[in-house]
Amino acid sequence: MDQQTKTTDRRSFLKGTASMAALGALGAGAILKACSDSRPKAAVPVFYDQAPEGKALKAGLIGCGGRGTGAAINFLNAGPGLEVTALGDVFPDRLERCRRELRERQGVEVPDEKCFTGFDAYQHVIATDVDVVLLATPPYFRPSHFDAAVRARKHVFMEKPVAVDPVGARAIMAAARMADAAGLKVVTGTQRHHQRDYVTTFEHIRAGAIGELVAANCYWNQSQLWHVARQAGWTDMEAMLRDWVNWNWLSGDHIVEQHMHNIDVINWFTGKHPVKATGFGGRHRRRTGDQYDFFSVDFVFDDGMHLHSMCRQIDGCANNVSERITGSKGRTNCQNRIEDLQGNLLWEYAYPLDGAGQPTRQVSVSPYDQEVIDLVAAIRNDTPLNEAEACAVSTMAAIMGRVSAYTGREVTWEEMMNSGMRLGPEEPAMGPVAISAQVPVPGTGPEA
Amino acid sequence: MPIERQDKRRPYRRYLVTGFLAGMALIVLSGQFIAYTSTDSFCMSCHVHPHAEDNWRLSTHYDNPSGIVVHCVQCHLPPPGTLGHLTAKAVTGARDVYGMLFKDTDAIDWEAKRQLEQAVRHTYEASCIACHQNLFPLQLSEEGLHAHLYYTDRQDELNCLNCHLHVGHYSEVAQQTIDFGLGQLEQATTVIYQEAARVEGFERFTETIPGTGVSFDMLPIPGGRFQIGSPAGEPGRGPDEGPLREVELGPFFLAEVEVTWDMYMAFFRETVSEGRTEAGSYVGTGPRADGVDAISGPTPPWGSPDQGWGWGDRPAITMTYHAAETFCRWLGMKTGKDYRLPTEAEWEYAARGGTSSPYFFEGDPRRFTRESLRNRLFGADTTTIGTYVVYRGNSASRTQPPGRVKANPFGLKNMLGNVWEFCSDFYAPETYAHYPEGSPVRNPQGPPSGTERVIRGGSFRSDAYQVRTASRSHTRHDDWLITDPQIPKSIWWYSDNNEVGFRLAISWPMDSTNQ
Repeated sequence: MDQQTKTTDRRSFLKGTASMAALGALGAGAILKACSDSRPKAAVPVFYDQAPEGKALKAGLIGCGGRGTGAAINFLNAGPGLEVTALGDVFPDRLERCRRELRERQGVEVPDEKCFTGFDAYQHVIATDVDVVLLATPPYFRPSHFDAAVRARKHVFMEKPVAVDPVGARAIMAAARMADAAGLKVVTGTQRHHQRDYVTTFEHIRAGAIGELVAANCYWNQSQLWHVARQAGWTDMEAMLRDWVNWNWLSGDHIVEQHMHNIDVINWFTGKHPVKATGFGGRHRRRTGDQYDFFSVDFVFDDGMHLHSMCRQIDGCANNVSERITGSKGRTNCQNRIEDLQGNLLWEYAYPLDGAGQPTRQVSVSPYDQEVIDLVAAIRNDTPLNEAEACAVSTMAAIMGRVSAYTGREVTWEEMMNSGMRLGPEEPAMGPVAISAQVPVPGTGPEA
Repeated sequence: MPIERQDKRRPYRRYLVTGFLAGMALIVLSGQFIAYTSTDSFCMSCHVHPHAEDNWRLSTHYDNPSGIVVHCVQCHLPPPGTLGHLTAKAVTGARDVYGMLFKDTDAIDWEAKRQLEQAVRHTYEASCIACHQNLFPLQLSEEGLHAHLYYTDRQDELNCLNCHLHVGHYSEVAQQTIDFGLGQLEQATTVIYQEAARVEGFERFTETIPGTGVSFDMLPIPGGRFQIGSPAGEPGRGPDEGPLREVELGPFFLAEVEVTWDMYMAFFRETVSEGRTEAGSYVGTGPRADGVDAISGPTPPWGSPDQGWGWGDRPAITMTYHAAETFCRWLGMKTGKDYRLPTEAEWEYAARGGTSSPYFFEGDPRRFTRESLRNRLFGADTTTIGTYVVYRGNSASRTQPPGRVKANPFGLKNMLGNVWEFCSDFYAPETYAHYPEGSPVRNPQGPPSGTERVIRGGSFRSDAYQVRTASRSHTRHDDWLITDPQIPKSIWWYSDNNEVGFRLAISWPMDSTNQ
């Protein structure tokens, strides 16, 4: 086993380096085959610590909240010749906070004429001379923003999830094809694809380290997430937007908004997506919005493999954020460990060592930096990189689980691909929103 | 040693060189021959369809902003350089020469050849794709994006022509957008009926739809007994047509003709719902349980549901089973009568008109069918069947007005042929086997549940075998909506079936108060 997984020999390293020179960086998502040997071997992922030099790139940020500001800073730090030149947000206060962060942390000043607020801010940002847009609004907005960015020939970094409903997920899939045809690069904020331990583990699993994949579990059980109570003077729309992680039409519920990461890892490792789902969920603790506190979903793949997924956002419960795949010859946590079916360690990711010579348990480059580095590298080297469709597929899978839990029905992929479900208002505007805080109740009950 | 070998080869050199030069000449000449026979002018020198040239010049493949002209062979042959190109060219050329020399080219129905089922045989999808390599250009509309995403997921089932039938030859009736003007078609008649017909007894009456100028005749079908199905050994018989069972029916009314466009458009105009309502989430052919008071009718169709064949008294087509049922409910509210679809047993009883032969007229299906080698070589007999039935042998690939055919013994027209007709029964291949043997089954309704409905009678596209009285078929809901570009798909219009319609029935005595 050791031999099978440990293939960082000189030959494959040289080969990798040579291919690297020929192809340029493929980003972490595209991995070079190390050997043409018939026996499968884990390829050696190659990572950029910094984006390579090249054409100066300007980025515009759409959605100036915490993650958006973070993405802008990740972009600025990804390598030489990178600027953030335009900002857009619905709310002036959020935009100003982001602007101040960029000024104080990075010494970057975005001028007034490149700062846009309101629901059409995204159009103005896209209309500036930026090369890249960073989309970090609540996911409800993503399909229309992504479509507009692609049609304007902008490279895109966008946060996951990429939609809250089937119509939106399909819109992303279609726009992803447009982006491919136009040669645009897209990275989607499913940052495990850019996390060195995950990527390396993936290569071992792909090379057959645990045999055929036969079952999977994934978890995102954590404490309660934040909420924002409505303030006097706020319209429905403002109250919902500021509290967006608690509203299904804005976030897709937390199975889509957060747990989608873990479902995505299983899709990535299996190279597939589930074809049906039966789930349930409920709500005990939330204060605002219409979402559930927990979901449990049985996903089934086309070959009959089951994925059990669970997610919860309640304080004081057992927490776990991870994945687990069982194969015919072993198991993996997808992140850094492969063991046999008796639990004996077969392989472990070698983390960088700290000053005392102990493994740090941290990858050397944060995946949030790595994903932007990989995006910039792909743009500058003109190598293929477009994660939009894969992210839309994982988003759709999570939506399928949510719909099953909300309705109590078994829901199929086919149904999702043909569903007209569209959440939220047609045209978002400040003012009243005709959506009540009604929490979905599945099935039927006994007569009163 | 090497020198010796060279010497030995020398005598062959001359032949080699000559052969090479001859080969080159042949290639150049044949290349020129191929190039010459691939020009538009060469195609048009033989092809006796000047309108095809005219509407090609009007099409987007000739007249477009980019100035590019797409030539005959670029669509009507596989892409050059592929294996099939020269073979297809030879076969097509041979067929055209044969047709030119031995066929009456005036008798060729070019309009029929433009229908999808024929067009796909003369147009190569690989050639579409060879030019249209990017299905996701940045200028593509949102609808186009979704439609192409759908196509790329189902490339085996779909053909470019499903949606882009008229891009090479312009057609006035082809519309790629929702036709909101459709419901406002001019009504030819000046008489507007104020009241529905009053039915005094069990005799023929003319129904008049209040508020419209539309009327139609309902014929009394006396109750009685008959054998449903066909005997083993009937030519063309399907396994679902047996076993024979005795059926007893009460009296009922049945419409003289299939529901016409005039009738259907009266309904459409009055109930058309623009945009999509909650009803849009309904899928399937089962009954709806929504209990709506006011009837919400069809959404505007995509394209022209008459297929460009004409409206008026031609049978209405392409409506879904749900739409046909909704039509019945609407007509019931307008006239105070319980209009409904016939059961399968009622349908067959009425179609037989007292006969038990394969058709209600004299004749052997084996003489009429084109599905036998003998008839393909020596021609099928169309004289008798052609006077009673609109079918493949005489339809020119489209529906025909009822005036084209003679009625059956009950006075009903187009029971066989023209369009398939919905029956209210769910379809099951073994339906009759569940009916009791020996004693007659009274007013059978088919299986209690199912997914697809029975359709009967065959259509303008059917062979003589399928327009036999006992012939059975069923809806194919998903297949008939496969190219519907909307999501969710329409509950009102089949995008991929233009040979099914329906006929109205009423029970007798009528339960309704307005008798």
